[in-house]
Amino acid sequence: MTWLDVELDGKRVRVAAARTRDGVWIAWAGRTIYVEEEKRRAAGRSSEALHDEIRAPMTGKVVAIRVGAGETIEEGTVLVVLEAMKMEYRLTAPRAGVVEKIQCAEGELVDLGKALVTLLELPAATPA
Amino acid sequence: MKVLVANRGEIACRILHTLAEMGIPSVAVHTDVDRESPHVWLAGEAVALGATDGYLKPDLILGAARATGATAIHPGYGFLSQNAAFARACREAGICFIGPSPESMLALGEKRAARTTAEAAGVPVIPGAKECDTLDDAKRAADRVGYPILLKAAGGGGGKGMRLVRAADELAEAFAGAKRESLGAFADDRLLVERYVHPARHVEVQILGDGKDAIALGERECSLQRRYQKVIEESPSAAISERTRGALCAAAVDLARAVHYESAGTVEFLVGPNEDFYFLEVNTRLQVEHPVTELRTGIDLVGAQVEIARGGKLPAPTAPRGHAIEARLYAEDPYREFLPATGKLLMLEWPLRPHVRIDTGIRPGQEILPFYDPILAKIITWGEDREEARRRLVSALRETVLLGLATNQSFLLDILESDFFLRGETYTTTLEAHTWPAPAVPEAIAAAAAEALRTLRAGDSAGSSAGPTEDRRGDPFSPWRTLGGFRMSANAAGDGA
Repeated sequence: MTWLDVELDGKRVRVAAARTRDGVWIAWAGRTIYVEEEKRRAAGRSSEALHDEIRAPMTGKVVAIRVGAGETIEEGTVLVVLEAMKMEYRLTAPRAGVVEKIQCAEGELVDLGKALVTLLELPAATPA
Repeated sequence: MKVLVANRGEIACRILHTLAEMGIPSVAVHTDVDRESPHVWLAGEAVALGATDGYLKPDLILGAARATGATAIHPGYGFLSQNAAFARACREAGICFIGPSPESMLALGEKRAARTTAEAAGVPVIPGAKECDTLDDAKRAADRVGYPILLKAAGGGGGKGMRLVRAADELAEAFAGAKRESLGAFADDRLLVERYVHPARHVEVQILGDGKDAIALGERECSLQRRYQKVIEESPSAAISERTRGALCAAAVDLARAVHYESAGTVEFLVGPNEDFYFLEVNTRLQVEHPVTELRTGIDLVGAQVEIARGGKLPAPTAPRGHAIEARLYAEDPYREFLPATGKLLMLEWPLRPHVRIDTGIRPGQEILPFYDPILAKIITWGEDREEARRRLVSALRETVLLGLATNQSFLLDILESDFFLRGETYTTTLEAHTWPAPAVPEAIAAAAAEALRTLRAGDSAGSSAGPTEDRRGDPFSPWRTLGGFRMSANAAGDGA
């Protein structure tokens, strides 16, 4: 972590920076952003395209799994309920399909980005 | 007197600070994942509770009190703070519960009984139903009251276990979710149904009672909420006249006197556009936003609670002065549906200056975990008037640096600089009615980020937002490092007695 001197609109601004394995946190004037490394972003994109995995949007606990493998589901179906910091978050299907596999268990603590459910596209699905 | 603080995070730290000032020996409790959290260091002694739900276990807390010879327990907010059974168990164990009696708690703190008490005292209440233990009960009540309705946890607050239900077909899912959430947060899954009144402002009155008399210490407006979680609170409310202020305070004191209320409490009201007001509920505990009142009155509410608990007097009522605003800094990402954020705090800097108060319980290097409340800190400022307090808060937030996980800091700044906030047009639905884009990134900042990516190295491989599985021995910030692995379990250089 360090401070950087940046000139912004003709004024000297103190910018805080902290590197992580995959990117860097940057803060200036009360605003904070996280910038990921290029190679990491590219990898993320391609894996999303190859697999239709529903990933944990936050680190938390799986409190309920609402679907089973082989089940045909509609867009918006609640797949998994996650809880973190005492708030629940319902993960829904981004589109219609078939549940290929469930990769988590009720009560399991999952990290941000972990694949929880894999969906298969319906062969005869018509685009919404 | 020796006080065990049955809580964690910023509120445990805040209570422990007052105990230290008063020269009262203190005991902290902590779960395994919290063993290196700052509150543990502020107490004279610390007792381990084990698993993450330890703060919700009355037996463990009472056991810790007995083991350390604590004569009183301060519950803070959340966890067991509004649990009458726990307050009773303390009494039976001969330990003073710093808060209202279990009887007051049942009469006022439990939302259903509170409605009855308020109705009896002639305070207007929102149409609703107190008895909704089953989905069928809730269905009947909702049909009678009319959608949209609110489902609320009967035994809690803070938006946990609460759901807005717009139509009948949403009820079943919401009912199950609210039940689960309230069981997890308050160890109590009873629910109630209320008509959803809007647009409305949320105005609450701080009360203090000693069992014989009660006083009101002015109001706080807490309309700015999202998902029923307060974000910004201020006092005085810009929306009410002196007459309404007087009526609200009088109603709050009436309620407190009716149950011989002891300790600090908050009476919450919804205020409609014509300053019509409805009793909502009583929070029979110290509120998260209590510093707003402390800055205006100069009264230490925790100190007052302790005084009352040991048989002392109520503080002399003082006329609140100036304006105070609080912003809650949460570990959540406002640009990703406000999802809770976890990760290691890589850098932390607070603005230290006059008229700015920071209540917090985090330290650099700490891992923010998904198990507890997302509150990281409260930043509270005081000014002679609203605009001065607002400018100080904006300035304080601009100089706060917190790196390592997403927070709502930028969102707080955007609210405080919005036209509606400047005009004082704050309603419970305001935040959800606006869109909140992520901050624009100036070119110079993007260039600095690219430069930092190229030249900086991860500090001691502090890692990305690593999960709780990370090996703590590798934690370069850990205070334990300098001790070469030596650990103390209890009774670290306390103030004795």
